[in-house]
Amino acid sequence: MSSTRIYILLSTAVVLTVFGFLLFGNEKELDFSTQIKPILNKHCISCHGGVKKNGGFSVLFREEALAITESGHPAIIPGDPNNSELIKRLTESDPELRMPYDKEPLSEEEIDLLKTWIKQGANWGKHWAYEPVEEPKEVQEIFQAGISGNSGSQNPNPIDFYVEEKLEEFGLAFSPVENSNKLLRRVSLDITGLPPSDSLISLYENGKISYDEAVDYLLAQPTYGEKWASWWLDLARYADTKGYERDVSRTLWPFRDYVIKSFNKDKPFDQFTIEQLAGDLLPNPTEEQLTATAFHRNTMNNDEGGTQDEEFRVSAVLDRLNTTYEVWQSTTMACVQCHSHPYDPIRQEEFYESAAFFNNTRDEDTHDEEPRLRFYSVKEKTDIGKILNWVEEYKGEEAAKKRKDFLTFFEPKYEAHIATDFDKAELVDTKWLGIWSGGSAYLKNIDTQGSDQLLMNYRTGMDGSKITIQKDGPEGEILSQFTINKTKGEVIGAFPFKEIQGQNDLYISVFNPNAKPQQTTSIIVWFAFVPTLPGEDQNGYDSIQNSWQNILEFKGTKLPILIENPEYMKRETRVFERGNWLMLGEKVSPGVPKELNSWKSEWPKNRLGFAYWMVDQENPLTSRTLVNRVWDQLFGRGLVSTLEDMGTQSDPASHPELLDYLAWETMTSYDWSIKKLIKQIVTSKTYKQSSVVSPELFAKDPQNKWYARGPRVRLSAEQIRDQALASAELLSHKMYGPSVKPPQPEGIWQTVYNGESWKEAEGEDRYRRGVYTFIKRTSPYPSFITFDAGSREVCISRRIVTNTPLQALVTLNDPVYLEAASHLGKLMIDQNPNPSKAIAYGYEKLMLVPISEQKLKVLTSLYQESFKEFKNDSTAMNEFVLLKDMQITPELASMTVVANALMNLDEFLTKP
Amino acid sequence: MKQVEKLIQELNQQKLERQTRRHFLMDCVSKMGGLALAPLMFGCDLGGSKSGSSGLNLSERDLNPLAPLPPPFAGKAKSIIYLHMAGAPSQLELFDFKPELAKYHNQPCPESLLEGRKFAFIRGVPNLLGPQANFAQHGESGAWVSDFLPHFSKVVDEVAFLKAVHTDQFNHGPAQLFMQTGSPRLGRPSLGSWVTYGLGTENQNLPGFVVLTSGGKTPDAGKSVWGSGFLPSVYQGVQCRSKGDPVLYLKDPDGMSRDMKKNLVTAINDVNKEEFNAYGDPEILARINQYEMAYRMQIEVPEVMNINEEPEYIHELYGTKPGAESFANNCLLARKLVEKGVRFVQLYDWGWDTHGTDHDGSIDMGLRNKCREIDRPMSALLLDLKQRGLLEDTLVVWGGEFGRTPMQENREGKTQSFLGRDHHGDAFTMWMAGGGIKKGASYGITDDFGFSGIGEQVSVHDIHATILHLMGFDHEKFTYDFQGRPFRLTDVEGELIRKIVA
Repeated sequence: MSSTRIYILLSTAVVLTVFGFLLFGNEKELDFSTQIKPILNKHCISCHGGVKKNGGFSVLFREEALAITESGHPAIIPGDPNNSELIKRLTESDPELRMPYDKEPLSEEEIDLLKTWIKQGANWGKHWAYEPVEEPKEVQEIFQAGISGNSGSQNPNPIDFYVEEKLEEFGLAFSPVENSNKLLRRVSLDITGLPPSDSLISLYENGKISYDEAVDYLLAQPTYGEKWASWWLDLARYADTKGYERDVSRTLWPFRDYVIKSFNKDKPFDQFTIEQLAGDLLPNPTEEQLTATAFHRNTMNNDEGGTQDEEFRVSAVLDRLNTTYEVWQSTTMACVQCHSHPYDPIRQEEFYESAAFFNNTRDEDTHDEEPRLRFYSVKEKTDIGKILNWVEEYKGEEAAKKRKDFLTFFEPKYEAHIATDFDKAELVDTKWLGIWSGGSAYLKNIDTQGSDQLLMNYRTGMDGSKITIQKDGPEGEILSQFTINKTKGEVIGAFPFKEIQGQNDLYISVFNPNAKPQQTTSIIVWFAFVPTLPGEDQNGYDSIQNSWQNILEFKGTKLPILIENPEYMKRETRVFERGNWLMLGEKVSPGVPKELNSWKSEWPKNRLGFAYWMVDQENPLTSRTLVNRVWDQLFGRGLVSTLEDMGTQSDPASHPELLDYLAWETMTSYDWSIKKLIKQIVTSKTYKQSSVVSPELFAKDPQNKWYARGPRVRLSAEQIRDQALASAELLSHKMYGPSVKPPQPEGIWQTVYNGESWKEAEGEDRYRRGVYTFIKRTSPYPSFITFDAGSREVCISRRIVTNTPLQALVTLNDPVYLEAASHLGKLMIDQNPNPSKAIAYGYEKLMLVPISEQKLKVLTSLYQESFKEFKNDSTAMNEFVLLKDMQITPELASMTVVANALMNLDEFLTKP
Repeated sequence: MKQVEKLIQELNQQKLERQTRRHFLMDCVSKMGGLALAPLMFGCDLGGSKSGSSGLNLSERDLNPLAPLPPPFAGKAKSIIYLHMAGAPSQLELFDFKPELAKYHNQPCPESLLEGRKFAFIRGVPNLLGPQANFAQHGESGAWVSDFLPHFSKVVDEVAFLKAVHTDQFNHGPAQLFMQTGSPRLGRPSLGSWVTYGLGTENQNLPGFVVLTSGGKTPDAGKSVWGSGFLPSVYQGVQCRSKGDPVLYLKDPDGMSRDMKKNLVTAINDVNKEEFNAYGDPEILARINQYEMAYRMQIEVPEVMNINEEPEYIHELYGTKPGAESFANNCLLARKLVEKGVRFVQLYDWGWDTHGTDHDGSIDMGLRNKCREIDRPMSALLLDLKQRGLLEDTLVVWGGEFGRTPMQENREGKTQSFLGRDHHGDAFTMWMAGGGIKKGASYGITDDFGFSGIGEQVSVHDIHATILHLMGFDHEKFTYDFQGRPFRLTDVEGELIRKIVA
């Protein structure tokens, strides 16, 4: 059936329905979300809702739509379409009055629908994605009754039932199953990001293991976590640099290790969520749980001189909020920063109520990115144990707990950038406190918690600076006075401090007769108030004190994490008028949008409670979002194609019941296991279909929205690299650890005010999987961005796949791919001295199916042409083949050309 | 005259090449039954010309996302050369002549100007700093230009000045992003990406959006200033470099001859055709097309990037030295690129951040030297475009990301050893020339100190709206759907600056 005919039939159906209403009265209630909201969104909302409320009329919320407008009357009177101004204005003949102003009028059908809707009471309804996911009943019933589509199959997969239902609706049918080896390559690339191993292929080809067993095997490989981590790291906007102008390196790789390990453990997605959003708020958080919170320390950090740390702290908080809603709720919050959502029922206050959950962490866009989790060695952990036991023995459990926190992530402390009222003092590079001789500054509202000791993080190139700290001001009581001398880099000094209670302003001044005018005496990074160790007169004190000093000087791996403010440091959250962080409005407390699931009283009103809210079974969006994104990873298209948005403006779900079925199963019978979800999908008939497309089928469904064929999608940037290295048997299987810098052309890094350089990795680190490649935000790995990977500055829900000549240049000319081709060429020639046979072997090694006669002919002739040239040009031959310490022959060089061709074939770059 | 003939000849040649290529691809398509196919990756609104979902022939754009498209209305410019002075040049030493400011040199800045204001580095009460250059009026338009730009003074009648541009960003990274993407935060497509997305490009053997940098550094905001944001990555700027491969991975591997590369690409495409016959996926056709383009790009890019063959008088005109990485070379390259049909050429020259913290960053000496680097080449660019008849449909834009304060910088409250000005976004100067711009116009009035605009102020969004207008787009209708809403380069703002449009 042609699309035009479908359209005519559908239109007729609409008209008949409308007539039906008019003739027979309100037999069936109109559905607001699917029938009315789209009309309002399309024609009205750009002038009457969210940003603009022309004439005082808005159709965003029901109470707004029914409210009195500037004309003094409401525009919609429920039950009375004929007296509703809305209808009058839609049908007005004067073009100055007729709505939509200066645009095409609404169609009669649309106006009739609106009339009927007003007649029925102008009821509002929820958008489908905001309704809770309900237990699917249909499938069970259908299975009991037996269905035609799955007859003959012993374990019918419900996915196929839903897909087939739609196929029938559109006059389509499933394609046959894909060639079994191609299918193995497809599922292996999907699950592990790599081609299947030789041993798996042989077991599978010989029928020793079934397809389902192969899937289980692949899901159990550690390479599974590496593949799926790339997906999650896009959402987490993971990168190895801070972003913005200076874009210097940061240490966040332990978070990547956490993600890979979590996938491999098949950590339930609800737990995975809670740990990342609020691991620090769990009781006695483990190192792993604290590591997880680095998810939200992937926000950018601005080191540019002259920038206000508070501005970029706020910016990071809003990014956390927006990212959280995009990643877990497929909801775009960014517009709500400035005004109520133009399309979705989320109010501006609700944005700030959600922001309030994130507004109370210790991080403040400082240069050192504190707070950071210290990864101590076993020896250091033992020493810390001793220190904590000592403190507990002499000061009790509470003091030991505080000491433990301080040693784990060095909080609470005051960053020196909070200093104000500078007199002969400055914020050096707008980052650190620098006081000149005779100068001073204030630290306001400081709570020392009655500590008898000040820890100060500083560096100075000058001896003899006398620092005085007084209460309230220059006339105030002296709380601490000490002299600091030249340091080797940054140090943490410990100085006696008078015990005081409550919040106080501290006045800090410096005197140094040796300093020149306007010379900064030292650079101060932070202040912390940590009591001296107790039991000074006890046996063993010296050893404990010694360990404490050593731990303070810890130089190992430190990971930025989230740590909640203690009560006395809490910030309040206010609405930003028109989204401007300097224009503060009403104070708000933490809360969630009313349109979504309600808050349960047992949840704490903080990030942890927010995480519980998000993974609650009543939450309509988390499970749907997860299913939609996993589906997209496997099919190259989501069931809702707008992956980043499931709001009222999103693309309607192609298979809503299927989405809900999988969402329900994920929350219940799979117990949030992603592996179970993947297995359910990849064992479906839908997934296993051949991806051959006939012109007729392509015409009916160009985007493969209805799944009458298998997914045929170009591989991702990482997959293309990993596959090439794996096929050439070069790929390193080393897991975890800091990012690596495989070869890239010279002169790529030219960042301002940043002395770092791309130091090429040595040994096996050159051949690590793409997920471990160092990502510099302002200058990402060039071949990856060419293949559509992002620069990870913001959350990426969807990589748009493109097809460009620059991609061809990468796989044709990048030395990484030429080296892989050289190795593959060698493998081919070693396998069989006969060129044609070697080529056939190479092709089958890559594609897992025998080469066709025609393709073999083409490639053999490429070999022969190349051979003619290389035979007469040994210099060219030696330059071309990138193999070290090896005799290069014209045969090998020519086979390398063929290998280069193989690795550029569409079928190699594409998931079959 | 010869030049024109040559250009026409080249154009015809290009057309022919395109048609031959299209012929093969269309042949493949017709094998599929001459079907009505929906676009493969584009479902978006190009400002009025709806590419609807029902029955669109598989267009050249489906096979090549950079295929040229006509704008919604006839634009006056076909290509853009955008000269961005990264670091922000001082308007007070170049174009915005303020004799009153000279009178108050070294006097404390009036408190009224400082009240409630934030500066990047100025603290407390700084002193005013008089203009450090000598000004005179030039050309028939009588435009004020300082003696820092003697060559440019001679071409002012080609130019329209915007003297009261304002931005709300005063740090480099965010301000550059704002200027180039319409948002100070990351994630939006750059101006060049929007334009190439909307119009494609004329020469398929060259990238459609080329970026050239000089001054030894990339801009502060990094490569995001030519990123494609939420648009497909094919529309991001391609950096062409003067050292190493002009485009990354362009050079054939050592030891591989051109003939062999041709054999290789032919073999790849022959096998891909087989694959297409078996699988029927039009993406395979698109890939075949891309490999052909890559092969031709390998020839054409080095040709266009090579300035050795330019006649001596051209080198004289621009002050170019082959082999160097310089703004002058980049200006000449920009001309060559638009001549060859590149849609958008973006130049970044780094080193304009004249805070007065050192000699190079001083407003009287460092800035003068920086001006020497750009004065001759940018003036040459206008003249050269004009003599080739290219200026009419090439829009040239010049500016920084903000301007500079009328006050002497006193970083962190200290006296500085060199004269310098802090970042300032209230009022600064930009200029445009060529494609559709009113010659000799000046728009925008600033106060006596050049601190704020007091009339004819324009915002960054207004500049974007005007550039898009000149390219044939209504900035309010040129949208891309993302995150459930249509996005615009100009967000919800922007007004066409009619007074500078011819």
